[in-house]
Amino acid sequence: MVFIFGAHFHDASLVKRSLETFYGIGPMVSQRIMARFHIFPLAKVGSLKNAQVMDLTEELTNMKIENDLRREVQENIRRLKDMGSYRGRRHAMGLPVRGQRTRTQISTARKLNKIERGGAGHVRL
Amino acid sequence: MPSSVCLRVFSQLSRDRTALAAAAPRGLLPALPASCFSTSAPRCANPAPKKKNMTAAPKRGARTLNVKKGGKGVAQDTSKRAAPGERKAMRKRIVLSNNNALEVRSLQDLDKPSALSERHEGQVRGIPEDVVDSLRAVEAFKPAQGWSLFRRPATLMRKQTMQLAQLLKDAETTDGEQRKTIRRVLVGERMSGKTTLLLQALAMAFLRDWVVINLPEAQDIVNAHTEYALLPDSHPVQYTQNTYTGNLLSQILKANERILDTMSVTTNPTLPLPLLPNATLKQLVQLGVSDTEASWPVFVALWQELTQPGRPPIMLAMDGLAHIMQDSEYLSAEAAPVHAHDLTLVRHFVDHLAGRKSLPNGGMVLAATSKSNAPASPALDFSVQVAEARQSRLENIPSWNRYKRVDERAMDVLKDVDVIKVGGLSKEEARAIIEYYAESGMLRAKVDEGFVTEKWSLAGMGNVGELERVTVRLRI
Repeated sequence: MVFIFGAHFHDASLVKRSLETFYGIGPMVSQRIMARFHIFPLAKVGSLKNAQVMDLTEELTNMKIENDLRREVQENIRRLKDMGSYRGRRHAMGLPVRGQRTRTQISTARKLNKIERGGAGHVRL
Repeated sequence: MPSSVCLRVFSQLSRDRTALAAAAPRGLLPALPASCFSTSAPRCANPAPKKKNMTAAPKRGARTLNVKKGGKGVAQDTSKRAAPGERKAMRKRIVLSNNNALEVRSLQDLDKPSALSERHEGQVRGIPEDVVDSLRAVEAFKPAQGWSLFRRPATLMRKQTMQLAQLLKDAETTDGEQRKTIRRVLVGERMSGKTTLLLQALAMAFLRDWVVINLPEAQDIVNAHTEYALLPDSHPVQYTQNTYTGNLLSQILKANERILDTMSVTTNPTLPLPLLPNATLKQLVQLGVSDTEASWPVFVALWQELTQPGRPPIMLAMDGLAHIMQDSEYLSAEAAPVHAHDLTLVRHFVDHLAGRKSLPNGGMVLAATSKSNAPASPALDFSVQVAEARQSRLENIPSWNRYKRVDERAMDVLKDVDVIKVGGLSKEEARAIIEYYAESGMLRAKVDEGFVTEKWSLAGMGNVGELERVTVRLRI
């Protein structure tokens, strides 16, 4: 088990995939972080050197991810709602915000457009 | 304690007040008594009436009809799963003998004194056991080749093989002080035998007691499947691949063990690990194998040793050249692609291929192109065309289309490299190999002029891979 930024990862899990469990890190960001510390794309967490793990943790500490990022997104939505704007209302109702039709195909909006966006807690691998 | 209804009313009240306060600065708008959007109506509505005729869920443990696939009751696949790496090992397995094939009585082996002799031309010759082991160690045999069809490995010494043998001879002879460094690229159609020709060159080099360093597949170096690290103090920035280099060192050790054991370290290499005084080159290489962190410094030290005067010639070979003539899959710290020539191993090879560095004890730098697994490399294609035109002394040497993008570094490397064109077999060569097939019992037909001509034509004017396919592999 390797400890990166407050989470445990199994030795056999990919570094890329482990990084992407954090809210706010997707394929591009994980690629950039790994390139920065010269970690090859197929690297496993178990094969990282201690220094690399420390570097990764430090890098993640300086980034706006997980709860900080969730809070920012939620505050943005809340601001819209508190203003009483149309976008805020649509967020609160879980409906599309940018003028899409609502007759069909709004499952993404139903899933994402809510005040408490982003869920809670770290996704376990 | 206040009731829950009471609390809810209270919270509604407070929400209305905040809504009013937010609207207040607008001033001109009449304050609305309630917010224009509210969720209270659905909340206050009566709960939906229960649907009738609903049966209760079956009790736990009760049997229900289950027709879904993969559920309980359906026979599940209980076969054993392959262990990690097992399937790949199966795919990459090299089989070099077939007990069902007949022993060919007339088959002669290559040997050290006559390995480069011209009398082998057009004959099938066996590869001795120890050379087979060495070739296997440097991964010169490839899984798709037809070695598994015959009793033991043997190859046809074709015209191009003789050409290579002559070049090896040239590299061995001392011309004044300096020995020659031969640089060649093998080109040709798909299945025309480029990789096998490379193998023959390696086999001859092993027989002649050269030190053989083979990079079996260029793709494996650049596809970012092994770790990489910055080479300290390198300008421009270069990258080492410790795992790959460590593995390469172990291959070098396995294949050249006998020669490396006879030579001792004469220079004083700077290594991160302590080295015994009067160590042999074998011990030096073992350092790099045991600790991959030190593999690149060990490789550099090994090369330094091998280029000292009085050492044997070196054969440096690579298959799949096109892969290293472009950006690799590795990323720099700024997330920009790393050019393949910035990887230390590739740079080492490319410097020798381009003639920027030479082999003081003589030797050969040989690269084979591939037609079945090669990325588009306009620079390589163009350089091959130019080299062919130059060799055939054509008047109009092709010029680069300036409106096409080009990999300058690749172009620079391949500027004055010579090529060996691997074409189809001649009819005599085809006859020799078909007779070998027949003697091995893998081909049951009367081998005569007509048969050979038919198969030679079917194989697209003697393309050796196709010839094998139409005679031995294809049974109609």
